[in-house]
Amino acid sequence: MTDKRADTQTMSQVADQQLLSERVRLPQHVVYRSFVAETVVLNLRTGQYHGLNPTAGRMLEALDAAPTVGATVPELAQEYGVEPAKVESDLLALCQGLLERGLIEIVDADPA
Amino acid sequence: MQIQPEAPAGPVRERAVNATAFGLALEVDPTIKIPGIPVLDAPAVTSQAQVQVPTRVRLDPRELERRWSSIEGTPERVRELRDGEAVLLSVELAPPAGYLLHAPGFGRILIAPDGTELLCDPEPGSPEWSTLLPAQALPLAATLRGFEVLHASGVVLGGRAVLFAGPPGAGKSSLAAALLRHGAAELLSDDTVALEPRGGTLIAHPGAALLQLRAAEHERLSARERAVLGPPETFLDKQRYSPGVSVSPAPLRELFLLERSTHGPPVERIEAVDPFALLASTFNLSVRSPERLTRHLDLTVALAATGRIHRLRVQPGTDATRLAEIVRERLLEL
Repeated sequence: MTDKRADTQTMSQVADQQLLSERVRLPQHVVYRSFVAETVVLNLRTGQYHGLNPTAGRMLEALDAAPTVGATVPELAQEYGVEPAKVESDLLALCQGLLERGLIEIVDADPA
Repeated sequence: MQIQPEAPAGPVRERAVNATAFGLALEVDPTIKIPGIPVLDAPAVTSQAQVQVPTRVRLDPRELERRWSSIEGTPERVRELRDGEAVLLSVELAPPAGYLLHAPGFGRILIAPDGTELLCDPEPGSPEWSTLLPAQALPLAATLRGFEVLHASGVVLGGRAVLFAGPPGAGKSSLAAALLRHGAAELLSDDTVALEPRGGTLIAHPGAALLQLRAAEHERLSARERAVLGPPETFLDKQRYSPGVSVSPAPLRELFLLERSTHGPPVERIEAVDPFALLASTFNLSVRSPERLTRHLDLTVALAATGRIHRLRVQPGTDATRLAEIVRERLLEL
């Protein structure tokens, strides 16, 4: 039982490490708009709305523009005045949630 | 030579009459009387696009049947209102025919996908069938033509629109009626207001000049107040008034969100408005195209950015007259 959990954790960590080096984008059928206290993410295929708090909304904005997930960490850490490890952890949790809901997608690295 | 676009191939059809509602320039079969929407002498100038391609409202059950029976596949039911087992209203979508709105006991209306044509098929013996037009079909057509329709009542005060949104039964219509009773206000709409972003502001377009009050609210009216609202008629379980409508669109002044609450100030500006509360105030849940969903979200952003949204708490025992006083006092402060 213990071993199994340890394996799962290791796999998750590997997946997280891979994710940090990936480039993610909002699919064409997903749009978002920022409000004072919330960001609304809308899946145009399903018509479903999702709410993000302002920090998560800022992370989404940064993710959509960055070359990799990991590349956003220093900028966000400085912006919010927190440890990069904490930003990384929060960012990965957000990415996993958005990926599960189809609100972001991993794109192939630029062949050039 | 005069071009007669209305001229049919068959028997001579009477010339359509002009009207306007929800921002639409309407050409209506003269046999159709739309409650609360007056006939105009000339086409309404709402926007160039609307005037150049008006929305035509025709009584044509055969054409409706021909188009709907020729659809391929099963239509998608995009909306349904029920009372227990009974379906009160359904909306089905089958492109390219459009949206078929069906209210048993009233009739059917087929709305073209671009909102430029409404074909009507009243149920025999239903004198109130055309109520479906201002209550459901025209707001849907307005959405298809680029407006966003808010589930709100509204009045025009000093040339600007003051709107009231909130859940059913919150008192939107009663509040609008109370403001009309005190004079100086004109009715913009009872239940639905079409909004349009224009040049950095939001324009509110009038709907039908109808105001429906519950029996209890009707009983509380004084003789003078009844005189202001005009003679009522019974419609379903309500009293319906036709107090006259402000036919000119008006820029948005303030939006009040009504909520039942037992504590907190009666009215306060909302600094960080909940976007989901605004999104839920839409009247139209039937049109789910990406373009419309994006437009709805963008209009919500524009509405939130006005900074003119207020929470109006309806506390137990507060009647519409008192709420109207609170609103008037608030408007004087702003």
